[in-house]
Amino acid sequence: MSTISTHLRNFKEPTKEQLTQLFFALPPERIYAQGEKGAQEQPEKMEISASLILEGEESWPGKLHLLPPYLAFIAADRKSARFAIPLSTIRRVERLNARAGVYALSLSLWHGLKIIVQLTSLRPTADLFCALLRDSLKIDLQRGRMKAVKGFVKTCYSEVLLASAENDEKDGGVSKADESASHTAESMYLGGLGLKFKFPGDPKKLREASKTKLWTSYLRTHGRNLTLLRYGQCTRLVQVGLPNRLRGEMWETLSGSMYLRFENPGFYEKILKDNEGRTNTSTEEIEKDLHRSLPEYSAFQNDEGIAALRRVLQAYSFKNPETGYCQAMNILAAAILIYMSEEQAFWLLEVICDRLLPGYYSPSMHGTLLDQRVFESLVHRCLPIIHDHFQQVDVQLSVASLPWFLSLFINSMPMVFAFRIIDCFFCMGPKVLFQVGLAILKINGERLLQVQDDGGFIQLMRQYFSELGDSAHPHSSDPRARAITRFQELLLVSFREFAVITDETILSERRKYRSEILTSIESFAKRSAIRNLKTLGRFTKEQAGLVYDALFKAICVVPPPQVALPPPALLTTKDGQEERPETRIGLKTFRVFMSEICTWARDEKIVRNGFQQRVDREVAEHELINRLFSFWDTSYRGALSLQDLVSGLDGVMFNDLMENIEWFFNLHDKNKDGYLTKDDVLTLSESLLFIFRFELGDAYLGAVSRFMSNAFEYGDALLPRPEGASEDDEPPQIESNQPYMNLATFRMVVLADEILESFFETDFCSTFRLEPVPLELPSSNSGLLGGIWQNITSDDNRKIFNNFTDQIGRTIGKHQVYHRPAIGKYTSLEEPKARESLLTPTMRRPPSKSSLTATESSASVSTPTASTPTSSQVGVESPSTSVSTEFSPMPSMLQAAAQAAVYMERTPFAIDDAKDEEEDTEDESLTEDDGVMDEVDAFLEEHDSGLTEAERELAKDLMHAEPVH
Amino acid sequence: MADGASGSAERSVQVKLVLLGEAAVGKSSVVLRFVSNEFQANKEPTIGAAFLTQKCRLEDRVLRYEIWDTAGQERFHSLAPMYYRNAQAAVVVYDVTKASSLEKAKTWVKELQRQANPNIVIALAGNKVDLVQPSSSSPASPSPEGEEEADDATATPGEGAAAEPESLRQVPREEAEAYAQEAGLLFFETSAKTGEGIVEIFTEIAKKIPIEQILASSRGAGRAGAAGGRTSGQEGAVNLEENASKGRDACNC
Repeated sequence: MSTISTHLRNFKEPTKEQLTQLFFALPPERIYAQGEKGAQEQPEKMEISASLILEGEESWPGKLHLLPPYLAFIAADRKSARFAIPLSTIRRVERLNARAGVYALSLSLWHGLKIIVQLTSLRPTADLFCALLRDSLKIDLQRGRMKAVKGFVKTCYSEVLLASAENDEKDGGVSKADESASHTAESMYLGGLGLKFKFPGDPKKLREASKTKLWTSYLRTHGRNLTLLRYGQCTRLVQVGLPNRLRGEMWETLSGSMYLRFENPGFYEKILKDNEGRTNTSTEEIEKDLHRSLPEYSAFQNDEGIAALRRVLQAYSFKNPETGYCQAMNILAAAILIYMSEEQAFWLLEVICDRLLPGYYSPSMHGTLLDQRVFESLVHRCLPIIHDHFQQVDVQLSVASLPWFLSLFINSMPMVFAFRIIDCFFCMGPKVLFQVGLAILKINGERLLQVQDDGGFIQLMRQYFSELGDSAHPHSSDPRARAITRFQELLLVSFREFAVITDETILSERRKYRSEILTSIESFAKRSAIRNLKTLGRFTKEQAGLVYDALFKAICVVPPPQVALPPPALLTTKDGQEERPETRIGLKTFRVFMSEICTWARDEKIVRNGFQQRVDREVAEHELINRLFSFWDTSYRGALSLQDLVSGLDGVMFNDLMENIEWFFNLHDKNKDGYLTKDDVLTLSESLLFIFRFELGDAYLGAVSRFMSNAFEYGDALLPRPEGASEDDEPPQIESNQPYMNLATFRMVVLADEILESFFETDFCSTFRLEPVPLELPSSNSGLLGGIWQNITSDDNRKIFNNFTDQIGRTIGKHQVYHRPAIGKYTSLEEPKARESLLTPTMRRPPSKSSLTATESSASVSTPTASTPTSSQVGVESPSTSVSTEFSPMPSMLQAAAQAAVYMERTPFAIDDAKDEEEDTEDESLTEDDGVMDEVDAFLEEHDSGLTEAERELAKDLMHAEPVH
Repeated sequence: MADGASGSAERSVQVKLVLLGEAAVGKSSVVLRFVSNEFQANKEPTIGAAFLTQKCRLEDRVLRYEIWDTAGQERFHSLAPMYYRNAQAAVVVYDVTKASSLEKAKTWVKELQRQANPNIVIALAGNKVDLVQPSSSSPASPSPEGEEEADDATATPGEGAAAEPESLRQVPREEAEAYAQEAGLLFFETSAKTGEGIVEIFTEIAKKIPIEQILASSRGAGRAGAAGGRTSGQEGAVNLEENASKGRDACNC
């Protein structure tokens, strides 16, 4: 009872373009729907060397990126200056008349700020960039984005802040109370619960006023919200802590979630409305946690805060059903709701879960596990003594560090401090978590070396976090040193000593450990899936593991459809028999699964083309496999679980002769009444033909033919007769869908044939093979060479390469294709032998003339029988006519056996032509007649040339050992 | 936190105990009830696992439970090994009003028996019995308001329904008990809300744990030879007949 997920394997390293987008925190490109405004025009992207010049500041060389609908700049050192502004905020672009050779653009933003960029590339490049910029601006204008800006900025507190600051200057100073009153009246800026329920911390101690002042002057000269230019000073201001009222908006701006809100107006309300009243696992889990999300904050002790939290979490789970809801998201959402409105929080949560902490909250939590591994490796590298000590006393870092990362320290340290770390996190990215984590360990280094177990580690950390507000140097004589809190010390150590930890470090470490984590997640999932099986049947755990592997591979190839859960009313019945989510596969996936396990469920071609020999494996499709699918679907769900597969395989793989015959019988007994109908007998024969389709030679084909005629012979003979009817009478007519043959008869018919007997005794079971499934890990293409190799060995390229060599192989006549047989008992059967085997049996038996002539025709008719499943119709037609042939005398068992022996020696093709076969064979079959045999030889000699064509065809299809011409 | 252990640490035995079970069966409430002396009204949300400690006196021994209260959400399952490794005891909690929670409990038991410390003492606790007992229990609840609230947060919706409390029960005591016996687990029906059976769990676990072994191994891994030899005799001497009420007194030190 478990789910099997393969989505981790779909991970792809981000492209360079995606990395740029990620760096600028821009939303993924919007796909315009057909017919939507701007659907046709997809503006081009471009990057160009440029310098950013702002009045009174230095000029920064760097790169200017046109990423419609954004224009972004990053300084060459990647930290001293950057911006990413929506094109729609640009009101005017002018080429500056400057000294010759200087190509500079002046960009006027909607609020009047001017950005000057000097394009330092060659003239034609610069011209091209300008042209593209012009086009993009035009398109943006057509899409009506320019108009949207005005309305949007009204929701930003920064605008209010600047406007009021201006008023202050003009009016000389209105009292603070009046000011805030007038704001709430006239402006519509969005804010969090803190506005009503107070922000955590003491505003005086936090020095709100002076921080606000500093930010006001920064925002005035460097743009704000959508148009913020980030200089070194910005980062420094963030590091000392954002003022409470501005915090929410700055988080939006710094994390880029503001772009999402700007691009998707009304989305939040709509998704809530569209899903109103919907309940699912996520909403249930959310309900459970609502009351334990920052319960110490007053807003979450009353309905207003709880309702907001519920809506934000639900909206996220509706938008991202595959992630849904994960514990810890409640704490994040609750925390950010103190500073931002629901809509802002919704988009910020999206950015956190999707971009900043990818995979942290997914059902497998692979991102969390990965980053814990990365953290451990960084501790190993930066703090080897602590790492070694932990190894020695067997303390796991994650017991303490997991919640740090998962809830951004909110759950671990006093909120005021956690929020300051979060400020830095949004400004500088996920590396902050690692830097702070390392700094915590480093600062506590001495005491950590005393720790003996996990519990002690946790206790120590708890102690440390509770003292973050204390002085770091309480005994210092310098009052300034005394004033430094432990928290300040923490940030200092984080950003000064662990500045070596960069975004690139994190990315490359993640790359390094991704497959390790993936393997451990998958093997954990596998172990619990197998452990949770109700029964292993006769399999060992290892064998069940191989079944799991095959299933896993099949799911990789053909993912099962998302099962639409039945409405909750049905799901949670009063008995509480709630279903656990369980992966079940459909028919398509099942085919792939079977092709892994079972030799006849796949078409394997061995291709030789002079350069290479390879095996092309394809999934076979046949009614037999479909039949097996429903046969194993014992609970009639139209889908199979791992348990179904294990039980199903258990039901066939350990069978002996009799059990196999019975199993095969039951498989084809459609209505499970203990009888096969005539139709069932035909399908069963088809199934056999399908299994034997690639066997060399014609022995199996013959066996099936004999089986069919025997089946109908005995079947008819054993039919109950109307009372008084003599044994010589015609058998009663029976519809093809009426009960016809029971297991005993079927068994007898099968056992009458040596080949079938040995097939059911051993060969059939051995077509099921539990072998290790080769499954490549999506390799983390480390380094350039790895990347190139990855490209070469990708599936597509391999195909191309194969095709190419095949082509050459064909031209030089070395291209050969064999089908690998499912059983492969007869391995070497060359052409002359094949002919011989066609004839040898006949020598012992005098076939009638009619059956001989049939031999000729059958040669061509039966050819396709073995090659393609559809052709097995041939097999269907012939016996169905043979039904009408009269084998009236009911033979005793002895007779039957004797007859069976005879039939075994008949030329296989004679059966195929049962329609021509007359009663006379019965009498003649027991006598030797060399005369007839001579006739055969003569016939063959005579028609040799005529037969060769058919013969070659036959050989090609039966043996598949002939070069394709 | 250091709870003045430095002096008594020599004699107190540290026992690592992990709580497992489906979400919302009341794991945190169970611990909370047990550790309530140290507990503040607002309970910590469980991220990964909450860590709590409680000392407990059993005869002349002082046990120091280190309790790892794991997150119940299914997706945290893969993190559980981190918490149950090296655990000497586990309490697997299910909800008597929810049949599926017993199934989950069984998978936890299976996992523990195969993956955890081979000598781990496992207790199965069917929580929320107050919901299925005749009305008398609810008003008699001695727990203060704040704790009841905490319990409500994870209670099943049917809680309010006053009529026929027994009908809410989905896991018959006999069934769970039989399973526990078969699997070799301690078994209790508990109510974190009324406190029923909670202390008993920890008392019985304390009795069953090979204390001397733990002591021996914590004193020095390699030198456990002689001490280990004596262990078995001492272990047998633990008074298993001691009744539950005495156990309750013994705890809460």
